[in-house]
Amino acid sequence: MIKIIIILFFGLASGLAVGSGFVAFLTVLGIIPRLTQLSKTMKMIQHYEWAVVLGALAGVGASLRDPILHIPSFPLILLGMTGGIFYGMLAAALTEVLNVLPILAKRIRLDGEIAILIMAIVLGKIFGSIFQWVYFVHH
Amino acid sequence: MWDVNVLEETIYIRMRNRVQAPPEEKVLLKDIAQVIARDDVLSHLQTMMIHQLTASDRNIVIIDVMKVIRLIKSQLGDMDIQTIGPAQTIIEVTIKKKGVSVPFFLLIWFLLFFGSAMAIMNFHDDVSMRSVQEKIYTIITGKKETKPLLFQIPYSIGLGMGMILFFNHVFKKRINEEPSPLEVEMFNYQMDLDNYVIIHENKESVKRISDD
Repeated sequence: MIKIIIILFFGLASGLAVGSGFVAFLTVLGIIPRLTQLSKTMKMIQHYEWAVVLGALAGVGASLRDPILHIPSFPLILLGMTGGIFYGMLAAALTEVLNVLPILAKRIRLDGEIAILIMAIVLGKIFGSIFQWVYFVHH
Repeated sequence: MWDVNVLEETIYIRMRNRVQAPPEEKVLLKDIAQVIARDDVLSHLQTMMIHQLTASDRNIVIIDVMKVIRLIKSQLGDMDIQTIGPAQTIIEVTIKKKGVSVPFFLLIWFLLFFGSAMAIMNFHDDVSMRSVQEKIYTIITGKKETKPLLFQIPYSIGLGMGMILFFNHVFKKRINEEPSPLEVEMFNYQMDLDNYVIIHENKESVKRISDD
């Protein structure tokens, strides 16, 4: 009995640490505020919080259990797209936190057309990702 | 009567934050500050020379408002001077605008391109993205698939779209006109640089009192 309580406690504690870390990470990068700013839906921010929490829980369910849904495969396109956009925003936010681009743009006197530098990174990410899935992992 | 008189004699000065000037330029008060004063004083003040740029100034000169006040007092005698806003102006000497060198630019472009391609591949490998994607494929369809391209290709394109969305450069006009996080970041970076030169290039703002 006492063992079960200890295990429960440890599980709860580690979940708490990982969960709060995940949320803190998202908060620091400011992706959700950015999305509400773009879509002008500041009032819905609580629902977005719940979307993150429920999404994380669904991920936990999918990775700890092995559910199989047996549905057609086309929802995968949507899932891949949304997942990719999320990671893209994550990567962009990380680049921005590290302050790489302003310094680089100033160094080569390109302050005005920083979009060109961003496109280099964006295309690099797309190329790297597609190359990896189509060719790299199978060789 | 006396009150009105004093008010009329007051000179209001607001230093500009940054001024760009060509080398060897005579810097006048009207270039580096906004001034409000009685009309006859004003015309004299505006054309007052504050600083002569020379080669020894290099590319940044800080004009402290104290220097301006000192000059006004020495030329116009005792006046009531009120300063508003920043206490100094940064003069940026614009040495003839060099264009962006194309090979250098291309080098950086490909550096960023291959750098981010490498980085995303390392990231995918690090977080076991492949096995997660295969698992998602199996959860949805019930089939095993070592090439779940149906998931992976949209994922890859979405990756790029997400970055563009975050920086909001392509759809800028369409979505809204707020500055993008990167523009805010560029601004903050410039402010930090300005703060640094204000302290470090201004001989008056740091003083060591020797203790012997």
